[in-house]
Amino acid sequence: MNHYPILAIMAYFLCAFLIVVFGKNRAVRNILGFIGTAAPLCLLIMLAEPVLFNGAIISYWMGNRAPVGGYAIGIALEVDALGLFFGLLIATAVFVAMIYSFSYMSHDDNEPQYYTLFLMLCGGVMGLVLSGDLFNMFIMVEILTFAAVALTAFRNKVFGALEAAFKYLVVGCIGSTCILAGTIMLYAQAHTLNFAQLAAFLPGNLNTATIIAYALLFIGFCTKAFLVPFHPLAADAHGAAPAPVSVLISGVLTKSGLYGIIRLTYILFRTMGLGTVQFWLVFLGSVSMFLCVTMALAQHDFKRLLAFHSISQIGYVLTAAGLATALGVSSGLYHAMNHTLFKGLLFLCAGAVLHETGTTDLGKLGGLSKKMPVTTVLFLIGAFSISGIPPFNGFASKWLIYQATYQKAVESGNIGFLLVTVVCLVTSTLTLASFVKVTQSVFFGQLPKEYENVKEVPFGMRLGMGILAFLCIVTGLFPGLVQRFLTGPASNAVFHANSYIDAMMGFGYAEKFGLADTLPVSFESVGVWSPISWLCLLLIMLFAITIVALTSKRDRISAADKKAQAANAVSGPSFLDGAPAANKYELFFGGEESTYSQVGGDDLFWGFKHNWRHYFSFMHDLHSGIVNDYSLWAVVALALAMLYAMIIL
Amino acid sequence: MILLNYIASFFLIVLGLYCIVVKYDLMKTVIGLSIMDYGVNLLIITVGFNPGGTAPIYSFGELRPESFFVDPIPQALTLTSIVIGACVTAMSLSLVIKLKEMYGTTDTHEIRRLRG
Repeated sequence: MNHYPILAIMAYFLCAFLIVVFGKNRAVRNILGFIGTAAPLCLLIMLAEPVLFNGAIISYWMGNRAPVGGYAIGIALEVDALGLFFGLLIATAVFVAMIYSFSYMSHDDNEPQYYTLFLMLCGGVMGLVLSGDLFNMFIMVEILTFAAVALTAFRNKVFGALEAAFKYLVVGCIGSTCILAGTIMLYAQAHTLNFAQLAAFLPGNLNTATIIAYALLFIGFCTKAFLVPFHPLAADAHGAAPAPVSVLISGVLTKSGLYGIIRLTYILFRTMGLGTVQFWLVFLGSVSMFLCVTMALAQHDFKRLLAFHSISQIGYVLTAAGLATALGVSSGLYHAMNHTLFKGLLFLCAGAVLHETGTTDLGKLGGLSKKMPVTTVLFLIGAFSISGIPPFNGFASKWLIYQATYQKAVESGNIGFLLVTVVCLVTSTLTLASFVKVTQSVFFGQLPKEYENVKEVPFGMRLGMGILAFLCIVTGLFPGLVQRFLTGPASNAVFHANSYIDAMMGFGYAEKFGLADTLPVSFESVGVWSPISWLCLLLIMLFAITIVALTSKRDRISAADKKAQAANAVSGPSFLDGAPAANKYELFFGGEESTYSQVGGDDLFWGFKHNWRHYFSFMHDLHSGIVNDYSLWAVVALALAMLYAMIIL
Repeated sequence: MILLNYIASFFLIVLGLYCIVVKYDLMKTVIGLSIMDYGVNLLIITVGFNPGGTAPIYSFGELRPESFFVDPIPQALTLTSIVIGACVTAMSLSLVIKLKEMYGTTDTHEIRRLRG
């Protein structure tokens, strides 16, 4: 059993290299790919019983080099419930993406190289989450960044693929260098790279050097999770990469970054008891959540829109994890799991649409539900999940997150956390709005003529999507079981750093450093909230909206507009180029003006986008697409993180 | 001597970042990445350096409490990091070649089709 983690990592890498050698034949390649992803999944599922249910922690020293005299010399793997939770998520997503790839990538050339890179990426992420060694983690970060860059540029004839890959490489390398610099600064202080030993040493020895290292590592993992201000990279990379790779980038790569942040803040540094660090994480999460969902509203490309939503949901996870309560962490992990499932499903559906129609432009698509009914149903399941509609999994985790933020506000008496609850709710609403838009413009409405011959996707792709949809429903229907067997043990592990240290370095090691598990663990979650407070909140919101509605300037049709209206009545409506407000419904009630009456994605929330046009155009200009700008954001984020860490900690 | 090394590595890292942020040419971006990488390598080596220490080549029998040598772990890390740096350069240069083929320029202000 102790060998399972290393076998799981090796299976990915071994199959990657075997595909290079024997991958010329399609059948051999597919079998190797299937084994390479199925074997680690099985191994990790076998680990679930001891680690997740019985709370064992598996430590494995490479070459059997156990610690000598309290100093860890060898390279270690350590699997606790947190690592295994992320490992299971990753193995599942990767397995499904592989099944999907068999059909999806069958028209591309250079298929062996694709599978090699694919498995390298999987192995990198798996190595990262199961690693017990900081430098090992850095190597895995580099492997997965490289593989992800290469896969982004894999279809290099696709619009923007090379560009996206280059930007990702530059900013990703800044992030990796941050991780390396942070690692070495920790080494200079602690003279060890082992997680357990660092976790024992660091909490009592916070000085300037370790705090700067903390900021460096934090920013490095933010780059991997694509949090604000690194979100444009995710959007670019998702749009250009093949759909299964988008699943890997959004479902798997971002999880590795989140895992790094949680491991760093909760176990290595144990800084989560500090209100300032909580504020830092919650603020970053809330900004990512809100900013990316508004960016998503303005998108015209199916996959680019999904990419922004992906980062928005990652913001939820970080917000919940930043609350530093047991309920917060477990709801955050729950949402991380759901994010992998529903976001993977949505990206696979986008890939199915691209596979059949050859475009992901929302303006060109429409009415595909008649031709692709299965994909439509699966997409709706994913869309309902991400928008938090009750029977699906997104509802359960978002509901827990609302409760966690609310409970935190009550416990700490800090009104700011209530604001976070409101931001969460608003973001969820905007998510729903933008998925109404996507569903309307891709699957419903009128079918354009050029897509008359579109067929349903092959069985392999439907199978991949079906598995994820099934998991979306199951995890939504049984939140209690998920909490009990998956997220509960994982968040327990987050709060019990001492047992993590002891499992690795020998019993009693943590006590020598005078460390105590300070944070209490209780899952007093469901039902803690008080309905009356929610009712009050609702009434206050209603009151506020009424005041805004009454005091705001009424839309009066000015003389100029009337003139324009009269002109339009003669020349026909011109609602496409900055039409006056009176004409905006012409599109819906314009009669037999045109036989083709698809309501475009941009027209659905016309008023909203018009009222917020300054914000949207500002954001559009800000995301300039120039690699220098994005690197500047990275440098500024790094500088701010260092400053904040030095001032506050 | 050690302090000079730290200053030099900090200077190299900042120079690399400056190069990435300010220069509008893809080749210079790649050079900036390399310079940043060298800075970090110098930092790693400096962390493990003990003035007057010997090379860390001992078998377990020869190791005495009074033996004084430089820290071997950072050197191993530097080797790994150099290899990774070379890979970064190779990969980014290959991307630059393809970008030049497709866009006909290496100016970062021209290569911005994905935006907004």
